[in-house]
Amino acid sequence: MQRELFTIGKIVAPHGVRGDVRVVPLSDFPERFQALKKVYFDDGLMLDVEGVKFHKQFVLLKFRGYDSMNDAEKLRNRLIKVPREDLVKLPEGHYFHFDIIGLEVYTTAGEFLGKVTDILVTGSNDVYVAEKDGAKPVLIPALKKVVKTIDLAAGRMTVELLEEWE
Amino acid sequence: MSRSIKKGPYVHESLLKKIKAMNAKNEKKVIKTWSRASTILPNFVGHTIAVHDGRKHVPVYITEDMVGHKLGEFAPTRTFKGHSGSEKSTSLK
Repeated sequence: MQRELFTIGKIVAPHGVRGDVRVVPLSDFPERFQALKKVYFDDGLMLDVEGVKFHKQFVLLKFRGYDSMNDAEKLRNRLIKVPREDLVKLPEGHYFHFDIIGLEVYTTAGEFLGKVTDILVTGSNDVYVAEKDGAKPVLIPALKKVVKTIDLAAGRMTVELLEEWE
Repeated sequence: MSRSIKKGPYVHESLLKKIKAMNAKNEKKVIKTWSRASTILPNFVGHTIAVHDGRKHVPVYITEDMVGHKLGEFAPTRTFKGHSGSEKSTSLK
């Protein structure tokens, strides 16, 4: 079975002539690159990380065996991935987007609202979009007073929707 | 150019009326609004306002640090889906 991999960055260009690559972090935790030892790619390629530097909004990575700009050029536009065990350890009450997407949403009364298909980041609270066939999407604010339980093992979220002003 | 101080911050009249009514009754209901230009006032704090993003109403919980900003700042009108399975986290507020 193929290992499940999660994206942490995208290689956008080579950097310099010694084989470094410029990476745009696609993680909420760019400092996580500091401890990076191995990275994976979709086609099964695995590379050892030899060096990590931070430059402007980029992370500069040096992979073992990639010592020239021509070598680095081969990696342009590729997504850097890691397996689940190498993901950042989140504090209690924090969840990864990919764990939340796909959860079944029920009200406290037991009504099925749909499955979470998207997460909107608003700058204030996040908003979970629950959709089911033939119904308008329900937008659920990620607030403690609304989302009562999140059970990742059972793939279920229980919510108590707020009353609307009529 | 910024708005004249003499005029005070702009808030849509009906939105302000609803907030005042809820504060008087100590109620917490979601208010739908199309007024993205309304400024968030201190008496909005603790309420959830569903701000229109051009397509749907995005429920936004108002906190103290949002006072002085416009409602529209918290309901983006353009959505970038990003890369699936990336290391982004979410938490309950």
